[in-house]
Order: sequence, then C-alpha cells, then structure tokens
Amino acid sequence: MNPEVPAVLMQLAAVVGRCAAPDVPEAERASDLAITAMLLGLAAEVWDGAAAKLVEENRALRALLGLAGADDDLRLSALKAENDRLRAGLIAAQIAAEKAGDVGRQEAIWAELVRATERRLLSVSLV
Amino acid sequence: MTHPLAPRVAAYLQSRMPGASEVAVESMERISGGASRETYRFVARWREGAATRERRMILRRDPPASLIDTERRVEFAAYRAFFGSSVPVPEMLWLEEDCGPLDHPFFIAAEVAGFQAAPQLLFSGLYDAVLPTLARRKWTILGEIAKADPFALGLDKVMAAPVPEACWRRELDHWEAVLDRDEAEPLPITRAAIRWLRANPPPPAQKISVVHGDYRTGNFLFDEAGEIHGVLDWEMAHLGDPLEDLAWGLNPVWAFGRGLAGGLLAQAEAVAIWERASGLTADPAALHWWILFNCVKGQGIWVGSAAAFNTGGNREPIMIYPAWWLLNAQERAMLKVMGRL
Repeated sequence: MNPEVPAVLMQLAAVVGRCAAPDVPEAERASDLAITAMLLGLAAEVWDGAAAKLVEENRALRALLGLAGADDDLRLSALKAENDRLRAGLIAAQIAAEKAGDVGRQEAIWAELVRATERRLLSVSLV
Repeated sequence: MTHPLAPRVAAYLQSRMPGASEVAVESMERISGGASRETYRFVARWREGAATRERRMILRRDPPASLIDTERRVEFAAYRAFFGSSVPVPEMLWLEEDCGPLDHPFFIAAEVAGFQAAPQLLFSGLYDAVLPTLARRKWTILGEIAKADPFALGLDKVMAAPVPEACWRRELDHWEAVLDRDEAEPLPITRAAIRWLRANPPPPAQKISVVHGDYRTGNFLFDEAGEIHGVLDWEMAHLGDPLEDLAWGLNPVWAFGRGLAGGLLAQAEAVAIWERASGLTADPAALHWWILFNCVKGQGIWVGSAAAFNTGGNREPIMIYPAWWLLNAQERAMLKVMGRL
C-alpha cells in the first residue's frame, strides 16, 4: 500500500484528534471522520496478510528472476524494500524479454504480474 | 458557528463588488472530496441601495499540494468558454491568483444548487429508471465538447494547441514524467503499458478539440429525471485529441464495478452517442490506444496523490484514499485493456 500503512495511521490519529476539537465546522468534521473510517477499514483489511503476501511474492519473483535469497527480516518495511528491489528487476527482465522476442519469458512475467494484482486486491476494488 | 474563512471571503467579495455594502458570507462549509482544489459552498448576502441581495456561491481554492498540478486560470477559462452553451457549466464570477486574500489562489463561481454528483448515490438503485437517459446526456454533452471549436472560443490563448500528429506524444510524455517524478515503488504493469503505447502510436487527431480531461461519472451534477445540470472539475482541461476525452470515461475503473461504460451502458452505445453528437468517428484501434493511455494517466494521478502525502505537501486523508483505492485497480484495468485479465 502506498502511502505506507504506519504513516497513514499516524496521520489518521492526528485527524481524529483534530476532529475532537470543539471549533471544527460540522461538515468538515463529518467529512474527515467518514474518510478516516474508510481508510481504517482498508488498513484493517490488509493488516493480517501483508507480511505473508510480500514473502510469497518475493519468493515468486526470485524464482522468476533466478535469484537466490530469502526474507530473513520479517518487518514489513524490510519485506517491502526487498519487494521493490525485485519488482525493479522484473521490469528490467521484461524489457530484456521484449527485446529478445522471448515470448515464453514474457508470458511467464505477465502471469506473475496478474498474480501480483490478485495479491493486492481489495474488497472495494473497482476492477 | 462562523467558518474561519468566511470573514476573509466577505472582505474579498466587498472588494470585487463596489456597488455592494454590508457583504456577509454565511453557511460556509467545505464540500468533501476535492483532492485537487479545496471546495467550499456558501451564501453571500449584501445590500445594493435599499435592496438586499443573496447568491449561493462556490469557492475553489488551491491546496498546499495537490493531486493534480494545474493552473486555475486554465480551469477558469474553460468554464467561462462553455457557459451559456449546450455544455452546462456553472457561471464563473472571479479569479484571484494573488495569495494575499486567502493564502492560496482561488476562484469563485455561482453554485448550481440542488443536484447530486456522487456515483454511490447514482448507483444506489434510486436512479435506475433514469440511467439510460443520463447516459445519453452524458455522452451527448461530451460530444458537444469535442465538436466545439477551441480557437473560436479563444481557449488557444490559455492552452497550448498541439498539431494533430503530436497530441498523443505530448500527453504520454507528460504523464510518464509525472510517474518518473512521483512513483514511490516500481510499477511493472504501468511501465509495460507505456512501452506498448510508444511502440504502437495512434493516428493523428481528427481535429484539435477541447479536452475536459476528467469527464467521468462523478464529475457532473444530475437530477432525478436523468438531466445533467453542470459539468465540473475542468482542472485538467487542455487542447488535444477528442478521443482522449472519450477514452478517459472508458477507463475500466470508471465502470465502478458494474461492467458498463461509466457504470451506465455498453461501451459501443456510449461511443455511438458520442459519434452522433460530435460528428466525429472513434476508430476502434485509436480508441483502444487512448483507453490504455488513460489508464496510465490515471496511475499518474493516483501516484501523485500518494506523493503529495508522502512528501508532506498535503497530509489530508483525501490524498490517501485515491492511492489506496485505485493504484491496484488501475493496474488491473490496464491488464483488462491489454487482454491479460
């Protein structure tokens, strides 16, 4: 999730605190609390599976890219940094496959990209 | 309780209405949404001689950092160009680019009051009987925008007019640069889409049109009869290929999960309505290019929204929601358009 969940939760805490002040216009209080509620719901939805999905995806990407390694640091920030590194590698691999005309390789990469969007799918997704 | 901005807005109105006295701003409230501009509604009251006047107005003020970086002068000019035409828009009253009066540039418009805009309400079931009527109006109005002559409207004085061959490249260059600047994480699907777009460019534009830039369900005011009373959110208006505008509303995220163009009707019907109204044709291959392009553009907007939050430029919750809600959905939309989902 971008922005990252911890930064969002910190900001939402500030918003709720602001809304507790007596001089906030009612419409703005209602609007801020409504969107805060929606964001908290999404944060709750991704929380439990976040680490497991990143580990699963990092394994899949290493296999696809022929890389060794493992996720020893299970903090979400560390898993996400490794995921970013691997996804950058995937872009380079896809460009190389396109230039080489390697259709099989391209299809394997596309299949993983489809699975990646399934892992990130939210209950409120429009697509 | 008086809104903190109300006295300052009243002072501004007083400065712009020399014939008025005792100007007051009442019932001021911020309207939810509006990630690219802060939007407020209010009632202005004043005296003119012995008479008391009253008018409902809208204030659109630039936020500290926005989901979209645009010139309010361009948006103001686009509204003005279409006011009184077959494209319904609110009347623009004042444009203020000086930061003095309200800390940021803004404009004030007449409020088109009493109508709805929210897709959630439109698709709640209450409006089902009028959705076909609304759909016809939606794509007819978009066709009218495409048909309009931007040079006769004088819009080429505030918006750069590309040559027909250059429309696609200018837009793609712009949104790729936005992604280069703002993305916080690698986006393999978006980057693959950009490579495909560059390798398979569309034909030159049939004409140079006004492109609203964000014409979708949710950005117009509707009533219970399915009539449209105001086309809003012109902040991304520019001159370019009219297919770009048609294709934005066909971006799959704007189907709102209903499997229909704009959540309203089959894509082929929407395109046919637009073709009749505009007098233009929508070549299927060119339209496909522009739909995929608009998926990239959408991603640029959602990534920009996250960047505005991440960099501290705007920490309002409204900047988070588009990114969380739409970044993955937009990549799935690209997969659909590319036939991979």
